[in-house]
Amino acid sequence: MVRGLRCSLGGTEVLRGLDLEVNPGEIVGLLGPNGAGKSTLLRCVAGLLPFSGQIEVRGQPVSSSERRGLGPRELALQVALMPQSTTLTSAFPAADVVMMGRYPHQGRFQAESAEDRRAVKNAMAFTATEALALQPINQMSGGERQRVLFAKVLAQDTPLLLLDEPSSGLDLAHQQLTFSYAQTLASQGRTIVAAVQDLRLASTFCTRVILLSQGLILAQGTPQEVLTGQNLEAAYGVKVRVYVNLATGQFDFHLDGAEPSETAPLVHVIGGGGSASSVLRLLTQAGYRVTTGVLSPGDSDLYVANVFELPSIVSPPFWPIEEAVHRQNCAWVREADLVVLCNLVVGAQNLRNLEAATHANELVVLEDQPMSERDFTGGAALDAYSKLTARARVMRSAEFPRWLKTLFYPMKH
Amino acid sequence: MTPVIPDRQAWWVLLPLAVALGGLVLLATAVGSVSVPLGDAVTVILARLGVPATFLASLPDPKWDAIIFLVRLPRVLGATVIGAALAVAGTVMQGLLRNPLADPGLIGVSSGAGFGAVLSIALGFAATSSWSLPVFASVGSLVATGIIFLLAIRAGKMGLFTLILAGMAVGTFFGASTSLVLTFASHDSIAQFLFWSMGNLYNVRWESLQLVALPIGGGIFLLLWFARDLNVLLLGEEEAQAVGVDVFRTRLVLLVLVSAVTASAVCISGPISFVGLVVPHILRLLLGPNHRLLVPAAALGGAAFLVVCDLVARLALGAQEINVGIVTALVGAPYFVFLLLRSVKRGIDL
Repeated sequence: MVRGLRCSLGGTEVLRGLDLEVNPGEIVGLLGPNGAGKSTLLRCVAGLLPFSGQIEVRGQPVSSSERRGLGPRELALQVALMPQSTTLTSAFPAADVVMMGRYPHQGRFQAESAEDRRAVKNAMAFTATEALALQPINQMSGGERQRVLFAKVLAQDTPLLLLDEPSSGLDLAHQQLTFSYAQTLASQGRTIVAAVQDLRLASTFCTRVILLSQGLILAQGTPQEVLTGQNLEAAYGVKVRVYVNLATGQFDFHLDGAEPSETAPLVHVIGGGGSASSVLRLLTQAGYRVTTGVLSPGDSDLYVANVFELPSIVSPPFWPIEEAVHRQNCAWVREADLVVLCNLVVGAQNLRNLEAATHANELVVLEDQPMSERDFTGGAALDAYSKLTARARVMRSAEFPRWLKTLFYPMKH
Repeated sequence: MTPVIPDRQAWWVLLPLAVALGGLVLLATAVGSVSVPLGDAVTVILARLGVPATFLASLPDPKWDAIIFLVRLPRVLGATVIGAALAVAGTVMQGLLRNPLADPGLIGVSSGAGFGAVLSIALGFAATSSWSLPVFASVGSLVATGIIFLLAIRAGKMGLFTLILAGMAVGTFFGASTSLVLTFASHDSIAQFLFWSMGNLYNVRWESLQLVALPIGGGIFLLLWFARDLNVLLLGEEEAQAVGVDVFRTRLVLLVLVSAVTASAVCISGPISFVGLVVPHILRLLLGPNHRLLVPAAALGGAAFLVVCDLVARLALGAQEINVGIVTALVGAPYFVFLLLRSVKRGIDL
């Protein structure tokens, strides 16, 4: 439990009044940009920094600058901290390092007990570091070292574990591993609070996240509640698109620049069936104002358009585009400075997309396969298409990004 | 099994070291400008230890008894005690500061002792009482160390970097003060101080051993109990605190013990350089970083090293004895350079 926590480092107030509560069995992720106060919060709870306010661990106060609470050893029986970086240069074998986690359990005049040895053994088995037991820690790879240090924190055998960016500097597999350790521990009733940089990892593994910004809590709750574009933009100061990755079913995040300006050129993209996805993304990132149509629900192009919050014209699938919808499409085409016709497959239901394209002020046609192979209208599409290409700039999809760069716009990035 | 020693294996290191030390003490007692047969030396020592004459091969020869018991034994035991003190202090300082080149000189022990010594000599106290110089030297070193601690401790914290810089400043100040006193001192006083400052064991008698045995023995004993803390401190300040080490208090206790042990050594022998540097270094290379083995090994190794160096100092130039501080420096400085070159070659910046 943390109440009214304030902490200053070198004259600047890093934490400016935090209130939060963590329950047993939770994995709480601390998120926020560099300097938001994640590490400082963890170090305060671990008793490493003087602070004002109240921190209680299982009902017992941590010593603050105002009142005396648990001593270092008593606190170390409740809280274990895995710091962001360890400056370990000594050639201690891994088993000795893990045994150091038992320090608070050992009296000054006691030898290592059987329990100490059992805890070390279990911790090393848990992190699969038994084989490294006799190897000097300063000669290990980053992943091995991190696992040994994790074992040390485990051997400390505390109900609360604080992990300060436990996955920083680790490869893909080890990042995942660290958090799956945390998950197992939480299921055994231990409590874990971790500062996390990687939003994907946080949304996957944390039962609750706390978003910090400039020493204050911006939002807290489930990852779904907290990790919204709005919150993340407020915390990180950049536009973050939050969406569910269709392949993994997990939250995913995409960073693009700020919102396009009112004076940015307007581009209308005609696509469908996945043909427009990369074009939509490219144009948005380049700072254009983008519209799209006509797309059907379930189309991945529409999904991308929604992630980027692009205005789009939608019509039911497997149903010809109705007059009203078509007229709107034509209107947007006319309004646009540039229209991009993607390498879409044409059937009876979306034939009118080609018709709409004829109203373009400036038309780019992306062609990867000849229309003859994508025409499922029995020739109508091919006719309309050849009329279009006569007055359009035709290129392959792969050439489009380079061509886009030759345009006068954008200037903003 | 004593909890200080990590495991049974350690006995295979400490036991041979202890036996070697015992042998060296015996050898150094027997060998000298007048050689005593080893058997006679043993007899004298055993007799003095109170072993009844019936158990001895021969009766102790009174002419050997004076040499062995009154002259050589206190000196060799002095070398043992001082060598152990300096090596343990060096080991602890290096672990504490996480720097392989640290030694107790960093916390002003030698410069303070030097100033105390020069005062005692220049003011004439040293000439009137043999107790004066050791007492002045130890008071001087404790004063210097105290000033450094006061400078380095701020708001319940002790920055190691601040400690080193404060140590440098205070050390320089006391060094200059010593020079100032020497400017006005007589030639005799200057010679006497110079002799003291080179480090020697000439004047070690039973009385001086009595004076320092308790602080040194007790200090080393207490330092042994902090070996586990020293290991954990090597993880870094925050890591150590996070596993429950009271970093500030532990550092303070260790530094106070180190300065007490070193000051006691310096007050009877003068500053003897490099023992606290070379011995811990060699042992760390051989035994690894575990202080629970390193600290007791340093005590035995340091003692053996200084006994040998003192033997060399007595015998190397025949009739002309040289100061043991010269021998340790002549051995230590090249080793220091060797370490330096080796780390440069490995691309490590000490």
